[in-house]
Amino acid sequence: MTLTTPTIIAAGALDAFVGQFGLAWSKFFAQVIIFWIVFMILKKYAFGPILGMLEQRRQRIADGEAKLEKIARDAAEAKQNSQAILDKAEADAARLVKEADDAAKAIQERRQQEAVSSANTIITKAREAAQLEQEQLMSQLKREFGRMVSDATSRVTGKVLNTDDQTRINQETSAQVSA
Amino acid sequence: MSSFLSQQASLPPLLANVHSYASGLFTETSTLSFVTNSVLVALVVMGIVLWFSRKATKNMTLVPHKAQNFLEFIVEFLYNQVVGIVGEKQARLAFPLLGTLFIYILISNWFGLLPGVGTIGWGKGTGFLSIDAAHDPLLRPPTADLNATVGIAVSSFLVWLFLTIKEIGVWGFIVHTFGPKGGLKGVMGMVVAVVFLFVGVIEVVSIVIRPVTLSIRLYGNIFAGENVIHAMSDMMNGTGAIGSFLGSIILPLPFYFMELLVGLLQAIVFTLLCSVYIQLSTTHDDHGHEEEHH
Repeated sequence: MTLTTPTIIAAGALDAFVGQFGLAWSKFFAQVIIFWIVFMILKKYAFGPILGMLEQRRQRIADGEAKLEKIARDAAEAKQNSQAILDKAEADAARLVKEADDAAKAIQERRQQEAVSSANTIITKAREAAQLEQEQLMSQLKREFGRMVSDATSRVTGKVLNTDDQTRINQETSAQVSA
Repeated sequence: MSSFLSQQASLPPLLANVHSYASGLFTETSTLSFVTNSVLVALVVMGIVLWFSRKATKNMTLVPHKAQNFLEFIVEFLYNQVVGIVGEKQARLAFPLLGTLFIYILISNWFGLLPGVGTIGWGKGTGFLSIDAAHDPLLRPPTADLNATVGIAVSSFLVWLFLTIKEIGVWGFIVHTFGPKGGLKGVMGMVVAVVFLFVGVIEVVSIVIRPVTLSIRLYGNIFAGENVIHAMSDMMNGTGAIGSFLGSIILPLPFYFMELLVGLLQAIVFTLLCSVYIQLSTTHDDHGHEEEHH
C-alpha cells in the first residue's frame, strides 16, 4: 500500500499534466514530422546551397588574394627590371654623348687647323700677288717717271737727249723714286 | 496530495482567457484530430521557410541578390556561432539541426505576435462576426503548444545522441559519463571511481531531463507572453467602446516589443543549449589521455 500510493499520485499528476497541456501522441508526431520537414527543406534549399556559395566565395577571395600577391610580386620584379634597364640605358646614353662630344671636339679642332692652314695659304698667296703687282707698278712707275723726266729735261734744255742721257736720267730718277 | 494537484490542474490560467493547450480544428473523434491551430501555424511556418529558401537560393550568384544576401547573412552568422561552440568538425554535422532549431523557433515565436494570431477564432458571440474572447483561436504559434516544443526537444535529443555515439562510441560515452577522472590510483582511485559513478548517475538524470527542461522553458515563455498580451489587451474592457478599443491597442504595445525580444532570446537559448550539450559530449578528453601517456 505504501509503495502504490506515490505511484498513483504520480500517475494522477501526469494525467493531469497531459490533460492540462493537451499532450497527445498524434499531435506530438504531427509536430515532429513538420519539424523534420522544415529541417529537410532548410538543409536542402538553404544551408547546403548557402554554405556551398559561402565556401565558393571564400575560395574565390583566397584565390584573388593569392593572385594579387603574385601580381604585386611581378610588378615589383618588373619595376626592378625596368629600373635596371633604365640605369643601363642612362649609362649608355651618357657614354654615347661623351663619345659624340669627344668626336665633335676632335672634328672641330681639325677643321680649325685646316681653316687656319687654308687662311695662311691664302694670305701668303695674296701677299705674293700684292708684292708682284707692287713690283710691276713700281717698274711701270719708274719707266713712266723716267720718260716724263727725260721729256721735261729735253723741253727745259731744248736738247735732244741721246740714249745714254736718257738711260742715266732714268737710273737717277729710278734711284730717287726707289728711295 | 492528489486532490491538491488535480485542483491545481483544473484551475484556469490567471488573468487571461488563453488555453494552455492547442485547440483542435476537427473533432476529437475525427481522423484529422491531430490538426490543431498550432499544427496549422506550423504548416504555415513550413510554407514560409520553403518559399523563402527557394526564393533565396533559386538563382544564386557570387554577387548576391537581396533575398540571397539576407539568408547568407543569417546562415553565415549562425554557422560561425555554432563553429565557435562545437568546433569545425561537429559544426558540419550539427549545423543543419541547430540552424533549423533557431530559424523554426524564431519564426514560430514571432508568428504569435502577428495581428489575428490568437485573437481570431471561436468564442461566445457578442454580435455579427464578434466574440468576447477567442477561446479556440484559429491560429496559435507552435511554440505555445507543448506537443511541438516536446517534439522539437526530443528530436534534438535524438540528434545529440546520434552525434555523441558517432563521435565517441557507446563505450566512450559510458566512460565519458561514469569514468573516473584525475588519474588517481590505489585506494584513492577506488574512492574517486565510486564518486564518479555516482556523478555519472546524476549526469544521466540531467541528460534525460534535458528535453523536459528545454521544451517546458520554451513553451512556458511563449505561452506566458501570449497571456500577458491578452491580459493587457483586455485590461480596459468595460470602459466603453473607445476606451476598450484604445486600451487593446496601447496597453499591449510595450509588451509586443518585450515579446519580440523574448522570442529571439528563447530561440537563442534553445539553440545555444543544444550546441553546448553537443560540445560537452563530443569533446575528447585529450588532457586525460595525455596524462595516461605520461
